[in-house]
Amino acid sequence: MKKLPQLGLIVVFITTASFTLFQTKPWNVPADKVKAVNAVKSNAASIAEGKTLWSTHCASCHGKTGLGDGTKAAQLETTPPDFTKAALQGQTDGSLFYKTSEGRGDMPGFKKKIPEQEDLWNLVNFMRSLNK
Amino acid sequence: MQKFMHGLNKEQKTIKLIQMKKIKSYQFLMRPLQHSLIVILVLLGSSQLIAQDTLSSNAPVVKKKSFVKNTFEGNYIIDNQTVIVPIKGTFEFDIQHRFGTFENGWKDLGGLFANANMLLGFSYVAIHDLQIGFAATNDRMQTAGTLKYALVKQTKNNTMPLSVTLFGNMVMDTRAKNSSLPIINVQDRFSYFSQLIIARKINEKISLQVVPSFSYYNNVEAFYTDKNVIQPKTNNGHFSISLAGRYKLTDGMSIIANYDQPITQHPMNNPNPNIAIGLDMKTSGHDFQIFLGNYGYVLPQTNNVFNHNDFSKSQFLIGFNISRLWNF
Repeated sequence: MKKLPQLGLIVVFITTASFTLFQTKPWNVPADKVKAVNAVKSNAASIAEGKTLWSTHCASCHGKTGLGDGTKAAQLETTPPDFTKAALQGQTDGSLFYKTSEGRGDMPGFKKKIPEQEDLWNLVNFMRSLNK
Repeated sequence: MQKFMHGLNKEQKTIKLIQMKKIKSYQFLMRPLQHSLIVILVLLGSSQLIAQDTLSSNAPVVKKKSFVKNTFEGNYIIDNQTVIVPIKGTFEFDIQHRFGTFENGWKDLGGLFANANMLLGFSYVAIHDLQIGFAATNDRMQTAGTLKYALVKQTKNNTMPLSVTLFGNMVMDTRAKNSSLPIINVQDRFSYFSQLIIARKINEKISLQVVPSFSYYNNVEAFYTDKNVIQPKTNNGHFSISLAGRYKLTDGMSIIANYDQPITQHPMNNPNPNIAIGLDMKTSGHDFQIFLGNYGYVLPQTNNVFNHNDFSKSQFLIGFNISRLWNF
């Protein structure tokens, strides 16, 4: 019984530490990149091109419809965000472009695999079409 | 001119005229140079001004895209190269496998337990549109150096309706010399293959390519006739043509097909055509193909010259290609 407060303390410490360790780190995007204007007008052709890129490069983690339920999602350390939700759709086109291009942690950067900026903007336009 | 010449004697006038002609010819040469310089300065100035204007806005510079993309899923379509050359900085690792033919049935589980031909290959796109590679296969212990260059690319606005790529290799047979092999000198070990790949992406789902090819073996098998004359079994050179196509089922999966027709007629041992059909599955960093076909080798000249599997006798086999791509 004497050890109970110590045990409680350890449990509280571990719980707090794990929350601190595993909470999603904020992804800071440089101010000029946040304000970057989408250089490709969203239309059916752009969204279709973005969808093809999404299916090839993104769907295995983010899921076919952006729910974060791709086949590889369970093996990732970072839970992929839900693209249908306001938390993601509230970001600027520039932020989505920057994050797709640069990557972080589990999320690879695609600036080498998708070298043309037009393609990345097409991808951003497709991401917008996932908004519910 | 007459006014300017007034008061000069005949000799002085002649000298002056020669000088004037020299000045005129000098001006004739200099004026275009001056004009060119002005044009260059104006162009440089305007581009700097435009660049400043672009930098001042938040919109990133978007390079105008004009070439059709993803005519095929990757470098290979079953037994052939495609018109595709990956983007600069792409390193590719290829694994190819061809099992035995079905003809023995359950005895070797439809060829899965039979002898197989395998290839491991590496390639890198060092320069824009130019890929260099190296491969090795257990078939005849051959090693290959490859070169692939995209000559022309189909444009979106159809000003260029086709993509054209040149592919070539040099292969060395590294087997130890023995009396049954046509290897006497080092040069006898070499064979070459070249092809012009002409393709069109017809729409988002369908792409087709036609590929004339030429294979060349430095040395070929031969025998002595009754009259003691050396008779080669095959020619050194061999022409063939290939047709290949892709139909996309989904963004990541396609049906692929390939037909190869030999053209050159040899004195004997003429090769058979190849029919193949399969599935292509593509992800961000992989391209995987599994198919049924007649070609049992993994190097193009070996297939084109030595294929004796006959589709009319159902001599089909299972093969697969795996490509892993990295971008540096």
